[in-house]
Amino acid sequence: MTLLSGEMLRPRRNWQAIVTIAVVLIVSFLVLLPLVFLVEESLNIGDPLAFPPAQYGFANYLAIFEEDINVLWNTVIIAVMATVMAILIGFTLAWILTRTNVPGRETLERLMELPYYMTPLVGALAWSVIAGPKSGFINQVWKAWGGPGDLVDIYGHFGIAWVMALFEGTVAFVMISASMKSMDPALEESARVIGASKLRTTLTVTLPLVMPGVLGATLFVFAEMLGSFAAALVIGIPARIYVITTAIWDSTLSFPPDYGRASAMGLALFVVMFGMLTFYRWMIGRGNYATITGKAFRPRPMDMGRLAWVLFGVCALYVFLAVVLPIAALVFTSLQRFATVILSQAEFTLANYRTALSLGPVRTAMGNSLLLGFGVASVGVLIMAVLVWIIYRSQLVGRGAIEYLVMFPQAVPRLVFGLALLWAWLNIPVPIYGTLWLLALAYFTVMLPLGVRTLAGVVLQIDKSLEECARVCGAGWVYQMRSVTLPLLKPGIIAAWLLIFMACVRELGVSVFLMGPSAKVIAPSIVAAFASSGTELTAAMALIQTFTVIVALLILFRLTRGVTKEMT
Amino acid sequence: MSATRIEVKDLVVRYGDAVAVNGVSFTVGRGEHLTLLGPSGCGKTTTLRAIAGLEQPSSGSITIDGQAMFDAAARRNVPAEQRGVSMVFQSYAVWPHMSVYNNVAYGLRVRKQGAADIKANVERALDLVQMRHLADRAASKLSGGQQQRVALARAVAFSPTVVLFDEPLSNLDAKLRAEMRVELRELQRRLDITSVYVTHDQEEALAISDRVIVMNVGVIEQIGTPEEIYNRPKSRFVADFVGSANLIKGKATAPGLFEAEGGTILKTAGGTSGNEVAVRTAYIDLVAKPGDNQLPGTVRQRMFHGDFVQYIVECACGRLIVRRPPTNLLDEGAPVTLSFSPEHTVLLQG
Repeated sequence: MTLLSGEMLRPRRNWQAIVTIAVVLIVSFLVLLPLVFLVEESLNIGDPLAFPPAQYGFANYLAIFEEDINVLWNTVIIAVMATVMAILIGFTLAWILTRTNVPGRETLERLMELPYYMTPLVGALAWSVIAGPKSGFINQVWKAWGGPGDLVDIYGHFGIAWVMALFEGTVAFVMISASMKSMDPALEESARVIGASKLRTTLTVTLPLVMPGVLGATLFVFAEMLGSFAAALVIGIPARIYVITTAIWDSTLSFPPDYGRASAMGLALFVVMFGMLTFYRWMIGRGNYATITGKAFRPRPMDMGRLAWVLFGVCALYVFLAVVLPIAALVFTSLQRFATVILSQAEFTLANYRTALSLGPVRTAMGNSLLLGFGVASVGVLIMAVLVWIIYRSQLVGRGAIEYLVMFPQAVPRLVFGLALLWAWLNIPVPIYGTLWLLALAYFTVMLPLGVRTLAGVVLQIDKSLEECARVCGAGWVYQMRSVTLPLLKPGIIAAWLLIFMACVRELGVSVFLMGPSAKVIAPSIVAAFASSGTELTAAMALIQTFTVIVALLILFRLTRGVTKEMT
Repeated sequence: MSATRIEVKDLVVRYGDAVAVNGVSFTVGRGEHLTLLGPSGCGKTTTLRAIAGLEQPSSGSITIDGQAMFDAAARRNVPAEQRGVSMVFQSYAVWPHMSVYNNVAYGLRVRKQGAADIKANVERALDLVQMRHLADRAASKLSGGQQQRVALARAVAFSPTVVLFDEPLSNLDAKLRAEMRVELRELQRRLDITSVYVTHDQEEALAISDRVIVMNVGVIEQIGTPEEIYNRPKSRFVADFVGSANLIKGKATAPGLFEAEGGTILKTAGGTSGNEVAVRTAYIDLVAKPGDNQLPGTVRQRMFHGDFVQYIVECACGRLIVRRPPTNLLDEGAPVTLSFSPEHTVLLQG
């Protein structure tokens, strides 16, 4: 057995080198090439449909400031309002759920994730049903009580910001509560022991310590809000309030489509967001978090006495506004022939669901979305698992570059990436534009960061010697991956599969650009239905989509709980 | 058939700018049990991993059974899976998603043995570590000691000629560690294997090895049998790290003679240069013996440890530590005569 033939003495890692080079090429083709097309198109000042451009110049960029200055203004105002609301909500909830003895803490913490999974699209639809002028539920009730005019109108700057904050601001809660959880409770306790009151401790110790975390979250959320699309699309366009994302979308709809203008706006948005996220990383990485270590502490919650129930009410109110009320409004609407809250006038029917499930386009759209979800998740996680292994486990020279490439789509606003892919594949001589194949490719590309991050979390927990042992036992790389690495990754692979599946079923930003007449998917179809047919049918469609996502989510919760139980 | 199983020559391992192993050379004979001993960060684990093929050295060569496994000059580096060595990891690395049986069978399956052979070999290996009754147990449901045994069975199941041990006992509690030490020594004797063992526990190193290599900051301090290492430490580091010793400063004046600071003349085991001698705490007697170095002193402190009693005795060479069996306890303040043979008065180099 120790006899070695001469050819065994070749340099090692042939397999790995081949795989790595292939991976770098394919991933940069998917991730970077569309952006190259986008940059070129943004400099096109001749015929916007010509490729390659006949004339180059900066006119498209200058036009943003000359003609679309009010779009920029709207974007900033709405993003600021949404960020302020999201941070206020996030900070309050994070403080209540990590630092106080609020009743039902664990359940509430789980519920906080729900608005994110409901998606801003469904949230925006629901709130336009709740707070739309005249026919909105709140205004209907107000009128029934004899109130003059409309009490509320969601179709305004504040309305858009409100929906964004409720459904996209969840990340603020996650980030701030993480920084509160990582604070050593002894820091607060020593203040209390020395004689400071609860309030004084909170103001002089807790707040200054979590402030960097809050600032980081603010920056991050603001960047996200700048690139937010769904709420601005559903609420902003009827209200004729355009933000940069809807303006990009709108310029591709004009005739002829002004791709040059759209590309310039998209790139400008990308550069601003990228700059802010880089600044955010730099701030986090600068390391003035000496007291806030990576270690998770179990903070001793403060005893709030009877006030705890008030705090519980605050959390419950959030869940009511962001989950219960929207879902109830959509369910209520979807079950009626004409949506009304005046029960005496209500005509209940299942016709909308029958239509949604039998109407050709809707059915194919739903079917396509599920098909894409299954396909992309199944093929995607396997490729991502190999990627993760290469990035975090191999000793290959190019692994840092691969990590950067794979995470890159995260820094590009979804909508801008969709636009880039649209323009790239209109001009790449492979006829997959307008087919599910392109959507699958696009979904895979934009899901790379999500899948890789989820899997990396599991890979990093796996002791390296488990793999090394397989090698020493005589297994080659392929056999080691098959017999040890992949089976150990299984819980992570299932979680990543479900997350990618959910993300595919609800995908909007890339889909709006890449959907073809014979390749429709559900989220853009919901938007189209909202614009053309009644809210009742739209509500039914949105609920079918939400239901699919929630089923996947429940499976995920069940599984992850099982996994954590097994580990402890 | 050469008597040398493993030969490591001028091995250097770099991590970026840091040098983990800095020119290490040694050989391991057939059937020999060699231990690399040293404090954490001394390069012992890196050396072991380089032998296994898990770490790529920057220069030097590693030869197993006359075959070059790594040779920087010839740009040769055989992958870990083709070196035919086996290894027991510090973390055991027992695969949690497999049963005990499948863990042990892994190396046999990789080698495409027949089903009947696999079964026979797995059972033989499990018998060696008394784990056969748990063959069907899921590996994630084992205690630390049981995982240790499975890792051991897995490492020897495919009858490797070389087994590498990377601090295999360091995660066990003291009592279990002592038990496993005995079993490991027994196992080494029964199987015809050559082993390289890494530990930072000097007691363990002395107990289970044929030869010990003491390493410090990437280089070898001393190579020798456990007795040589203990009785004849070459350097201050070895004297200090292995066992416990009194270090007396002074100057070698003539062959076999040493003048301690303060003027006392001590007879040594030999050597003409050096300015420090080591005297093991266990080798100092409190009853004068003819021919020994003899120093009058006073007991300053007595500490009762159970297995031994430690006295601190004030004498002309300063305060010396003396460990005696817990019989005939001396009181603090009692006058004594320290007595230790010239053979145990070892002149240190450098």
